[in-house]
Amino acid sequence: MSPEAGLYVHVPFCSTLCPYCDFAVNLATEARRSRYVELLLTEIALRGRPDAPFDTLYFGGGTPSLLPASGLRRIVETLSDLEWLSAGCRVFLEANPEDVNEASLAGFRQARVSTLSLGVQSLDPESLRFLGRGHTRDEAVRAIALSCRSGFETVSVDLIYGLPGQTEERLRQDLEDAVALGPDHFSCYQLTVHERTLFGRRKREGRLEEASEAAQSGLFRVTHLVLESAGYEAYEVSNFARAPEHRSRHNQKYWTHAPYLGLGPGAHSFDGRTRAWNERSFFDWERRLRREEIPVAGSESLRGEELLLETLMLRLRTREGFDLDDILERFGVDLLDLNRALIDKSLEDALLVRDGSWLRPTLDGLAVADGLAGAFRLSPDPWKAAHL
Amino acid sequence: MSSDLVRNFCIIAHIDHGKSTLADRLIQRCGGVADREFRDQILDSMDIERERGITIKSNSVTLLYRAKDGNEYQLNLIDTPGHVDFSHEVRRSLMSCDGALILVDASQGVEAQTLANLYVAMEYNLTLLPVINKIDLPAADVDRIREEIDSDLGLDPFEAIPVSAKLGTGIDELLEAIVKKLPPPTGDPDAPLKALIFDAQYDSYRGVVALVRVRDGRIAAGQKIRLMHTDKEYEVEEVGLLQLKRVKTKELVAGAVGYVIANIKAIRDIAMGDTITDADRGASEPLPGYKEAKPVVFSSIYPIATDEYEDLAKALEKLSLNDPAIIYQKDSSSALGFGFRCGFLGLLHLDVVQERLEREYGLALLLSAPSVRYRITLESGEVVQVDNPSLYPDPSRIAKTEEPFIKASIMMPERYLGSIMELCRERRGEKSSFHYLAQGRVELTAELPLAEVLFDFYDRLKTLTQGYGSFDYELLDYRETKIVKVDILVNDEKVDALSQLVHEDKARVRAMHYCEKLAETIPRQQFRIAIQGAIGAKIIARTTINAFRKDVTAKCYGGDITRKRKLLEKQKEGKKRMKMVGAVEIPQAAFIAVLKSDES
Repeated sequence: MSPEAGLYVHVPFCSTLCPYCDFAVNLATEARRSRYVELLLTEIALRGRPDAPFDTLYFGGGTPSLLPASGLRRIVETLSDLEWLSAGCRVFLEANPEDVNEASLAGFRQARVSTLSLGVQSLDPESLRFLGRGHTRDEAVRAIALSCRSGFETVSVDLIYGLPGQTEERLRQDLEDAVALGPDHFSCYQLTVHERTLFGRRKREGRLEEASEAAQSGLFRVTHLVLESAGYEAYEVSNFARAPEHRSRHNQKYWTHAPYLGLGPGAHSFDGRTRAWNERSFFDWERRLRREEIPVAGSESLRGEELLLETLMLRLRTREGFDLDDILERFGVDLLDLNRALIDKSLEDALLVRDGSWLRPTLDGLAVADGLAGAFRLSPDPWKAAHL
Repeated sequence: MSSDLVRNFCIIAHIDHGKSTLADRLIQRCGGVADREFRDQILDSMDIERERGITIKSNSVTLLYRAKDGNEYQLNLIDTPGHVDFSHEVRRSLMSCDGALILVDASQGVEAQTLANLYVAMEYNLTLLPVINKIDLPAADVDRIREEIDSDLGLDPFEAIPVSAKLGTGIDELLEAIVKKLPPPTGDPDAPLKALIFDAQYDSYRGVVALVRVRDGRIAAGQKIRLMHTDKEYEVEEVGLLQLKRVKTKELVAGAVGYVIANIKAIRDIAMGDTITDADRGASEPLPGYKEAKPVVFSSIYPIATDEYEDLAKALEKLSLNDPAIIYQKDSSSALGFGFRCGFLGLLHLDVVQERLEREYGLALLLSAPSVRYRITLESGEVVQVDNPSLYPDPSRIAKTEEPFIKASIMMPERYLGSIMELCRERRGEKSSFHYLAQGRVELTAELPLAEVLFDFYDRLKTLTQGYGSFDYELLDYRETKIVKVDILVNDEKVDALSQLVHEDKARVRAMHYCEKLAETIPRQQFRIAIQGAIGAKIIARTTINAFRKDVTAKCYGGDITRKRKLLEKQKEGKKRMKMVGAVEIPQAAFIAVLKSDES
């Protein structure tokens, strides 16, 4: 049984550019914003109907809440009319707190949005200033409370932590303030300073100092402990749900190699073997669509070993972990045999736990998931193979 | 040419006393080479010899000199290696001479190697002519050196010729003295052929070019010859003189020094010091001088990239064509893969071989800690020779272990005597004694385990004496000792390439040093890494590398996956050069840091 596919729509507009963000975004001109919906409908038409309907539709950005309600509704209705969406399809939308009010929420509801993801980032005024956000603590609190009362299946709050100089105590306070508002889901991202951002430039110039590894490690654990003790289960490195039904059905597809189609500038698609990505700039994306071309800029077809490496890298981010038997079956690779010492050591140090044929990361394991994924040997040593 | 007009001689000197420069000057003065073709240290043909200022392979050159008496003399200058590691080559070179110039630096004076080589020259009854070099230096003190020549060398100080090889001062006087004071060769041209092979070069077109000194008889192209030790017969293709390049002649007669080409494929097919005689009219007794060069220092060589193993095998084979003193056999380590266990004449020889392999063959190498060869008597009465820690027998089966001792001779200004005696004591020295030489200089002799000299002894000596100490040694005998095998464990897994045999008193310090070096060079991983030194099951040293506790990136969604995978692939590529010991990745750099570092 092939898993059901997800549909991602990238909305590349923001009202301000955040100093930490390296996504494909631009400051929306009114003209571009009004052309966007038409262009997206063109891409939908060019792509043609999928083999099977999608069971998730995710509006990410950028700032999807900047889309006019009518535009959003048109996109969803078109997809629905074209039978791209399954009956139980969940619709996700990222929104900025300053865009949230009774009217906009009603519009989202009309567009069948079931999960609202609020880009709160922090409830601490100083952190909000540092992050250059366009909303205040009070606006954020109001937005969360209002959203929670508006009949969405899931309301999620996005937070950023690990800001320079942030103490564990201040982070704990920030998290507890957010928990008190009762959202169903949290995405808590440790600040990453990307090179091609304003923060990246400040770092190069020595004006921004990232938290040390020890500090980051402490903040990571505080985040997990506070949320877990408040009843939110960490099902992924940065994602926490109050109950299994609140887990992001869409995002889980990325971590399980389920297929997905991405529409809009810079969006990525994956069919189980090949990953493709759209033109990243709005200009190129528009130009290709005007020529009635599918706006794919590049693609890669993954070899077995690449797929396997991704599998480990992605699965080790999830609490579920991976199934050794499944990997043996799908890739013909006996990971246990190739990595006995590594696995024994990881179990001994409680980075992993074994559950039948599954290896699941613990909290300590999640914290070092990247190093762990890189440590696995995926094929026999060619030198040993030749000599033994 | 009558043998009365031939002089065969060599130059004996301590390292850096200017032997190669003096040779250069003699060659130039005799017109052996056009000025424009001239380059410094012309007899040192290997790059490594020029750069380090050492002579590794002997060379020989024939000079034609018109003396003041009106005769043209044929001067055969046989270059000798100065370093103790190459003493077998020194001996063979000396055997082919009738006289020797004893070169002494006008400021440094008599040094350990001057003396050591002088004794060898005396064994072979060479006529000795002292030469004082570097008289142009401000620190030169010719009178003091004359005194040393008298008291330390027992030679006539007034015969000594002062020269400056650098400036060419005194070279004419020296050439006249060579002709007048050194004897012509003796030997009977009509007796059966006896020619001593004192060195050989390898020519990829002609095969082996043997350098010989003809003692009796004559040798010419077409002649059938027999090598007396290997008992192999060849037909001579060509003979001639070495005048920097080979100059073919009709024959070589008694007294001559020259080369012989006889279709010999590899240098290991001949034995240095062997005697060439006529296949039909053979001499009854070979010349004395055949002595097998025995390796005393052992180390395993591994290519850093395991796939360069075949290249290493080929390089060693080629290198041994003109350096038959290297011995090697296959070896393997679970941490480092396949390599070779090699035997060397000494530490410098090891160094030179490593450098030649790296430079001439472009290989990146790892060498295990050098070891001496221990003689182990088992409870069963069986005696085994062990130089490789991996072959060390179970200690419970060992009745007795013996290790090689050397007699070290160290010369230095008196003021350093205390600290050098202390150094010898630290290094388990026995029976040290000293005597005063001329002018506040002392010669200290001590009997030391060779193993103790392998670890930075020479560097420490140089440091403690601020460069004024000189060192020479000869092998003495085997003595009973207490050796333990120290293993290095990384998270309880033994790293076989780092095991070593150490005297029990030194085990803990050595183990701690290894542990600390590894802790500095192994990158942090997601586990805590325990590094331990152990003797059997007993832990004697320990360090720890703490785990990193957070490395995971915050976001990983559709657009992040490819980039993130590529990052991991790049890291994995870098790890290909790491060695896995259990779950721990050890970079090559860690092995290099540990194996190259000194103890201090």
